[in-house]
Amino acid sequence: METIIKLENVWKVYYLGKVEVWALRGISLEIKKGTFLSIIGPSGSGKSTLLNIIGCLDFPTKGKVFLDGRDIQKLSSDELSRIRGKKIGFIFQQFNLLPNLTAIENVALPMIFQGVKEKERLKRARELLELVGLKERISHRPQELSGGEQQRVAIARALANDPEIVIADEPTGNLDSKSGEKIMEILKKLHKEQKRTILVVTHDPQIASYSEEILKIKDGKIMGGVSEKEILWRK
Amino acid sequence: MKEYIKLAIRNLRARRLRSYLTVLGILIGVFLIITLLSLGEGLKETIMRELRMMGKEILYVFPGEISNIVTMFSGKAQIEKEAIDQVKEVEGVELVVPLNYKAETVRFKGKAKMVLLFSYPRKEAQELFKTDMGWKLKEGEWPNIYKEEEVIVGKLVPEDIFPGLKPGDKIEIGGRKFVVKGVLQSIGSKQEDSMIGLDEKIYKKITGQREGAQFLLVKIKSGLDPERMAQKIKKALTTIQKRKKGQEIQYSVLTNEKAGSIAGSILTVIQVIVFAFASIAIVVGGIGIMNTMFTSVRERTREIGLMKAVGAKDSEILLIFLFEASIMGFLGGILGTFLGIIFAKIIESYGQVHPIFYFKASITPGLILFGFFFSFFVGLISGYFPAKRAATLKPAEALRYFE
Repeated sequence: METIIKLENVWKVYYLGKVEVWALRGISLEIKKGTFLSIIGPSGSGKSTLLNIIGCLDFPTKGKVFLDGRDIQKLSSDELSRIRGKKIGFIFQQFNLLPNLTAIENVALPMIFQGVKEKERLKRARELLELVGLKERISHRPQELSGGEQQRVAIARALANDPEIVIADEPTGNLDSKSGEKIMEILKKLHKEQKRTILVVTHDPQIASYSEEILKIKDGKIMGGVSEKEILWRK
Repeated sequence: MKEYIKLAIRNLRARRLRSYLTVLGILIGVFLIITLLSLGEGLKETIMRELRMMGKEILYVFPGEISNIVTMFSGKAQIEKEAIDQVKEVEGVELVVPLNYKAETVRFKGKAKMVLLFSYPRKEAQELFKTDMGWKLKEGEWPNIYKEEEVIVGKLVPEDIFPGLKPGDKIEIGGRKFVVKGVLQSIGSKQEDSMIGLDEKIYKKITGQREGAQFLLVKIKSGLDPERMAQKIKKALTTIQKRKKGQEIQYSVLTNEKAGSIAGSILTVIQVIVFAFASIAIVVGGIGIMNTMFTSVRERTREIGLMKAVGAKDSEILLIFLFEASIMGFLGGILGTFLGIIFAKIIESYGQVHPIFYFKASITPGLILFGFFFSFFVGLISGYFPAKRAATLKPAEALRYFE
């Protein structure tokens, strides 16, 4: 299977004043096309840092990251922005919708930066909102939508440029369990029906159990995968 | 590009009150600049036009140094008779007209008011006023040069001072009766248009003034160089000065051109000062934009992070924020220019009813374009640093940002 993102011995250090904090300690990992992977770990384990690096939002202190075979540290900030916008779709715990834009405009936003024409943008955004079941809410602003609806808008936005991978950071963290389940069902459906590559970072084993593969992370290191049996048991 | 402008407008509208207040800051500065510049330029044009109305062959002689404007216009200093005679003898001088001014009580139909009188030797000067100074009658006719009881009045005398006064009416000055023969068209400032013109001889009887004059108009023979004639007259006057020991009287001789350039340069200095102060107002408006934009960048840190995560380049973030700042500047410029023009027009029309000075506000396309684009550039410059800060935010950090 084709590799989308590859991490080679990635280390990441933060400085809190003069204190060094090693958030990641030598992580190597490959994400192949078509997988549904969860990274699970307690808070402070480095999973958000790892996600930022996988999503090319941040650079490692040491080690290498390849997106589609290209070393991201050799790309300019602008090139990286474009590639990231094209190949990666993000879903955040805080939804991060632009409050001044309607649902359809939020979904269309990533396409602006890829130079897609307005008519085409709106057509695709409408289709995507239909896909996540928000056909009736396209001209609502985020504050007029429930948390679950906002996250579904965010999913539609993540799919706008038809990315190779969708990265979700605690996608259900701000939602009640029912809305959370709905979100996970949508992600599962995207994986199954559209063969999308999906990466979810969570602290919740229940959420992780929607995926095919689970990686445990602790103290900035991968502690190994969770067996399929274990997943099935959780299910 | 269109998309970024749309996004910028969306952002401005989302923070409507703050955007309006910021625009107001710029608006006030532009409003001041446009009003003051258009009125200043109008004033300058009016004065220049007035000077141009007079012939090139006319020179002015003042007592006092030209550099000292206070003594020039205070009218305290006198040009002695001896000096006047000296000027008359200078080769190339065709005519010397001594002029005097004094306020006296004038009565008309039971009303008494202080009015500025001016005296001129009617026989010699009346023709000069018509031909070389461009004075025209509004009503009635010029006084007979041999009838000293006849007077001419400025345009504002029947309008402001004695409403209803018309040619043929009788007025009383210093216990003597006079007949108003004619009303002049505007000859310049409010003061000049509010005067009553008398023949020299009767003026002297009323005011008790002796020989001499406050001001001389000198007509030189045509074809002579006015500047050289001015020097010749000045030299003649200096000779007298030397002869009369102990009396330090300076004289200034001005050509029409020189008077124009002096008036012009004074007005230019005033304009520069006015412009400088109004510019400060615009700079303050610019700081307002900068402040608003910095606040906006901080508030929207996570939005910026998100836009970068979904594919926006640094330059695109920069553009969106620059558009926001320059739209505010441009809007302030348009509104400020518009209001400034309206206000200048109001002052202009007020000036025609209550003439402080007859002048038109000079509103040129250049001034309007300046009003629009100066503030646009102020917006652009003020917006640059906040926009740069937004553009260089790191996406991972920006997304983590919480207020």
